[in-house]
Amino acid sequence: MSTLRTKASGYTVVVLALVLVGGLYTALAAPKGKADVGTNQSIAVKEGRQLYLQGCSTCHGLNNQGGAGGPSLVGVGASAVVFQVGSGRMPLANGASQAARKKAKYNRGEIDQLAAYVQSMGGGPVIPAGSLSDGDLALGGDLFRTNCSSCHNFAGAGGALTRSKYAPALKKADERTIYAAMQSGPENMPRFSDNQLTPDEKRAVTRYVRFITNDNKDPGGAALGHFGPIPEGLVIFLIGIGALILVTLWIGARA
Amino acid sequence: MATLVEKGASGTAVWVDDRLGSSNFVKRSLNKVFPDHWSFMLGEIALYSFIVLLLSGTYLTLFYEGSSREVIYNGSYIPLKGIPMSAAYASTLHISFDVRGGLIMRQIHHWAALLFMASIVVHLMRVFFTGAFRKPRELNWLIGVGLLILGIVEGFAGYSLPDDLLSGTGLRIAYSIALSIPVVGTWAAFLVFGGEYPGGAIIERLYPIHILLVPGIILGLITFHMMLIWFQKHTQFAGPGRTETNVVGSRIYPAYAAKAGGFFFLVFAVMAALGGLAQINPIWLYGPYDPSQVSAGSQPDWYVGFLDGSTRLMPNWELRTLGHTFSPNVLLPTQILPGVLFVLLMLYPFIEAKLTGDKGYHNLLDRPRDRPVRTGLGAMAISFYVILMIAGGNDIIASIFHLSINEITYTLRTALFLVPPLVFVLTKRVCLSLQHADDDLLHHGIESGTIRRLPSGEFIEETVALPSQYGVLLATTPERRELLARSEAEHAAAGAIASKPRGFFRAKGGVVVEEPTDQRQLEGTVD
Amino acid sequence: MSDSIRDRLSSPEDDGPAQPLTTAGFVQTDSRSAHGGAQVAPSTHATPATEGGDQGSHSGGRLRDDPQRAKAAERAVATLFLLSVVGVIGFVVSYIAAPFDFGKNGYQYYTPLLGIFMTLALTGVGAGAVLWAKTLMVDEETVQERHDLASDPADRASAAALLKSGAEASGLPRRSLLRNSLLLGAGSLAILPIPLVFGFAKFQHKERILSDTGWKAGARLLDELGRAVKLGDLEVGGVKSVFPDVPGGRRMADSAALLIRMEPDVLHTVPDRKDWVQDGHIVYSVICTHLGCPVKLYEAQTHHLFCPCHQSTFDAANGAKALFGPAARNLPQLAISVDSDGYFVAQGDFSEPVGPSFWERKPSYSDKVGK
Repeated sequence: MSTLRTKASGYTVVVLALVLVGGLYTALAAPKGKADVGTNQSIAVKEGRQLYLQGCSTCHGLNNQGGAGGPSLVGVGASAVVFQVGSGRMPLANGASQAARKKAKYNRGEIDQLAAYVQSMGGGPVIPAGSLSDGDLALGGDLFRTNCSSCHNFAGAGGALTRSKYAPALKKADERTIYAAMQSGPENMPRFSDNQLTPDEKRAVTRYVRFITNDNKDPGGAALGHFGPIPEGLVIFLIGIGALILVTLWIGARA
Repeated sequence: MATLVEKGASGTAVWVDDRLGSSNFVKRSLNKVFPDHWSFMLGEIALYSFIVLLLSGTYLTLFYEGSSREVIYNGSYIPLKGIPMSAAYASTLHISFDVRGGLIMRQIHHWAALLFMASIVVHLMRVFFTGAFRKPRELNWLIGVGLLILGIVEGFAGYSLPDDLLSGTGLRIAYSIALSIPVVGTWAAFLVFGGEYPGGAIIERLYPIHILLVPGIILGLITFHMMLIWFQKHTQFAGPGRTETNVVGSRIYPAYAAKAGGFFFLVFAVMAALGGLAQINPIWLYGPYDPSQVSAGSQPDWYVGFLDGSTRLMPNWELRTLGHTFSPNVLLPTQILPGVLFVLLMLYPFIEAKLTGDKGYHNLLDRPRDRPVRTGLGAMAISFYVILMIAGGNDIIASIFHLSINEITYTLRTALFLVPPLVFVLTKRVCLSLQHADDDLLHHGIESGTIRRLPSGEFIEETVALPSQYGVLLATTPERRELLARSEAEHAAAGAIASKPRGFFRAKGGVVVEEPTDQRQLEGTVD
Repeated sequence: MSDSIRDRLSSPEDDGPAQPLTTAGFVQTDSRSAHGGAQVAPSTHATPATEGGDQGSHSGGRLRDDPQRAKAAERAVATLFLLSVVGVIGFVVSYIAAPFDFGKNGYQYYTPLLGIFMTLALTGVGAGAVLWAKTLMVDEETVQERHDLASDPADRASAAALLKSGAEASGLPRRSLLRNSLLLGAGSLAILPIPLVFGFAKFQHKERILSDTGWKAGARLLDELGRAVKLGDLEVGGVKSVFPDVPGGRRMADSAALLIRMEPDVLHTVPDRKDWVQDGHIVYSVICTHLGCPVKLYEAQTHHLFCPCHQSTFDAANGAKALFGPAARNLPQLAISVDSDGYFVAQGDFSEPVGPSFWERKPSYSDKVGK
């Protein structure tokens, strides 16, 4: 009886503390935004909570504390929501070794509401307002090659990790998803705090990723998936040698 | 006009002949006979892609700067502006983005390099499976394997010259492989690279090796290879009128020469198509080499892929004892394995001759099925090689199909030892059953499409002797020639109705049911 | 014309005259050939021609003889040749006029355009020549005898005798002083290139060079842009490429390292390395102990480091022990501490040589890491 009470009071304290921290964060963060953000934000938090209770609480718990199916979302921040829900990875499909990109289940407005709610429950990284891809392209490239290409490949085509895990291809990721991924470090991806990669640098990386995956017009013809020498080897045998053997058959044939 | 040209041509010919006495050589050369078979043109692909390599490569040297001096990029490719890089990499970017037609030349050069190696391998398989390496052509086999090895060296050097992130990673691996050699490894690696990696000299050294030394040797060996073909005359498949002591084919002039010349342009055309339409080695995306950076899925070009694969499959055996470190995990897959493979490949003609006790001249080619052991060995070697190649791309496979790279590696490790022997047994069996099928054809002839009913009421289909133009192809041994002769005699005796074969070994369609007329005929048919 | 030339050229030279293959049943004699029926190729199974038999030896001949079809073939060949002109014109025009500068609208079509026209130009001449040869040229199947490759014994003997008598005439076999000194002199020439090539080799203490990196005690950890990394810059689950704060440290091939932050309680360290880490921060060399690729694929949840070249996997939470793949040894760890300003600094160099194994590498290094 008494243990139950202490447990319950323990939870209350934790929840109160979290609400306090979250509230403080929003209070501190709010002045950065526009004037009317405060009221809009509280509406968004309310709406987001409704969405959360319907769609997420089964796994992540009624108050973000985590549960059997999912981790606690306290402190993951709005970025994590933007990344996970925006790229369709959440809600999770069953049976995958790793959450895969799917069609997003929520629209942009709903995602922002969910994000606002999760943000209110313990803070965490938030995607800044304004353009995310106006950074320095060359700087972004250098940072990308130092921090990202080892997993995502030189052109963002993705790569293998251990035991069926993989770094996904980046072509379908929009600016917000790329930026949010750096901030929140989903699953096995490392997190890149603002002290480590400043917002300017993150914007530069975001721009470079968008450049190599979408804006880049491959000047040499078909890109062959940007997988390097392996597709090139397949092409030389299947197309090069293949075509020339057909030619030898034509030349050699005595029709 | 025409007479003017003719006059000019004959005038020149006379002028040259007066000084060189070339007419005799010319007339013998133009009359040279070459056997026709599509598979004899595979080696030509290698020759022509080498010419394309020389042409495109010469163009590239006009702009490339083989130097590791650091520069700050200030060319047209905006995403690399202001980035420090080697002059080698900057000049390769310059070729790609600031020289009109530079990119297509780079891409043609790289595709032609891949084709050069691919056609050498395919040509080697043709020579192997048809037994064209047998006496008197063992020397040319050795030269061919030498060209294969030199091609790998030349290709790797060329792949490294742009000094991009991918090739730099390859060079670092090459350095580390040299480092692993017992006793002298550090000396060898420092010698080649000019000190501890990166050493600062390797690009400068690879450049003359790539454009002068190795291509010079390759050119010499190719010339010698061709001279030997010319002198020893080309092999030919068995066929009507073809024997060990003659060559049946086309005269070199004019039709054969026109075809060969046309083929050169067609090989060049395929290279131009790939060079223009399929992007290869996009060094601007890889970025300049930086020892702290790397890209997922770093691979060598395909012809080094088998070594990358063997390295990936190798367990982590390392010996640390007696004050030294010995690395079988590096030595075995990168040096001992290719060493053994290439030595075996070189010695194969001599090993086979020794084991079969065959010391005779061979100008007629084997059909692969007639040499089940050799064909089995070849298929086994190919399966071994292909598994290593697949292993070289295990990360790409894992990434595309979302498979576990660990499981792929374990599976391929097992497959490397299990699959080749299975392939050997299977190939041998397939060869033997194909031989039986041939024997059946020789012995029983082909189905005539005529069905007869025996007095007992049983239906049988009549056969006719194999038309001799096919029989010659199959009857490659004395026993088989005897088989064919006997079959012809039997069918003639039986008076089987010869029907015109349609297609390859196939009788005219349509079923005719006839009543048996003559008992003798039936006895002859049923055997 | 070709017939008369061939007539003149065909003489019993060593290659023997090329003869059209006239084995009955396989080849119809080319009426234009001067050698029709001159030589019958031996065949054990020559039988009278069947209609369906192989008579493809000079299909061109039949086409040639049909003026209408020959004309059509000629037109096809000419069309192909003219295709080359179109290709060349297209190539030159695109070379000059197509958008080329990077970023210009449509610049990505420049190389493909050149490729298409170049292909057209080369295919025209190539395919035209082949088609010409296949349709309009005299190309009868011909037999030529092979000559023996081995010389006849008499020639062999006389060549050997010539060699021997020449050697004797030179006096070499008899004058042993001459012979031996020549062998010595010529043999010593082989040594000449050795200093030239091996002069590159410096007498250096290889083991020391390979053991030393840019790291030294007190050197701050700089990131790729040259900023010193502070405690607190990384969040849990964060990684950072770090370089020693020494001149040229950013480009040193042996000094690149990775700073990883994980929950302090998942980080296992051997007892004597407890003070090598700082609050869940640990630094490893990124140079793979297998073949030297940068091992920078870090899985934040499993704490595994994974090499993209040969898939060696290391457990960053456990001394970067090698778990999978061809690497045999753990990644060397760099001892770090925090200076008074809160910046990370190295306590010294790596305690063992970084990167791949080499002969002089002492085995004792590797014994230091537990389990």
